[in-house]
Amino acid sequence: MPRRLIAAAIGAICTITSSASQAGAADKVRISALSDVSFGIITNFAADSVRSQSLCLYAKSPPLDQYRITASGSGPGGSFELSSGSDNLPYEVQWNDVAGQSGGTSLVANQPLTGQQSAASIDDCSKGASTSASLLVVLRSAAVAAASSGTYAGTLTLLVAPE
Amino acid sequence: MRGFLKEGVLFACCALAVASPSFAATQGSLGTTSTGTVGISATVPGRVEISGLSDIAFGTVDPAAAAASAENVCVWSNTSGKGYTVTATGSGASNAFSLSDGTNSLAYAVEWAGTAGQSTGTALVSGTALGGLSSTATNPGCSSGPASTASLIVKMTAANLQAAVASSYTGTLTLVVAPQ
Repeated sequence: MPRRLIAAAIGAICTITSSASQAGAADKVRISALSDVSFGIITNFAADSVRSQSLCLYAKSPPLDQYRITASGSGPGGSFELSSGSDNLPYEVQWNDVAGQSGGTSLVANQPLTGQQSAASIDDCSKGASTSASLLVVLRSAAVAAASSGTYAGTLTLLVAPE
Repeated sequence: MRGFLKEGVLFACCALAVASPSFAATQGSLGTTSTGTVGISATVPGRVEISGLSDIAFGTVDPAAAAASAENVCVWSNTSGKGYTVTATGSGASNAFSLSDGTNSLAYAVEWAGTAGQSTGTALVSGTALGGLSSTATNPGCSSGPASTASLIVKMTAANLQAAVASSYTGTLTLVVAPQ
């Protein structure tokens, strides 16, 4: 009898853990209202250059409507690097699950940031708040000073999944 | 006889006239996962910086022998080849390399070497750029990496010293570096 009680308790724990880490089949997410990021000509080599944008992140994943986001750049292995011919310029990416923010959690390329929560009520943010998250791209002054002159470009891919 | 030079630190730059790449951010669709992309672009313009300059004081010099002074400076350039040009001008008539006591003048010569620790270099002509130089600096001000990357040498010949009226002479040497 005691052995049965122990087994039942372990089963309950496993069930709860599984429920919290897996999204259901009906769970949906959408990322939209993204804009390209142009730093233009960088004139101040002594300060970091930052571009932030608010975007729409919808997550329908009851009960908390949480999501995870994974970013990858167009550098080698998905690294956050811009390129100009054979020259590279590294950058950083930050994410905040609230719109209009000037700072966020630094993302690691190809590694999901979990536990994010969406306040969007509809998938295209056409009702309620028009944006629900912040994306920040940072060029560190040291990286700019170390880079060769040139025009750098790259692509940042953002993959969202429900939790 | 005493000579004194004071150099100005100048910063030269030029911007790249390069069009930014065109991107079009893509929006994700509603689904069990959603993917969006963002294009990122930035232009790093050509920049150079000269630093680490010190005034040159010859003190009292003996006209019987030539006098020379060399110092290490930092030149940083961010062009692909880290190339730069240097142009020097003096405070004498028509930017000549000469010192003055207010009435009399004392000519000097300027040499530039593209590496630190040199006592001789390529003679500079006032107002004429010396090109083909390359820096080993890894950042402005040489705050890391090599502490200095070039040599500035100022010389006065015995003949010029002997021709000068005994006095104290001063002047300014201006150095302009530009990306190349």
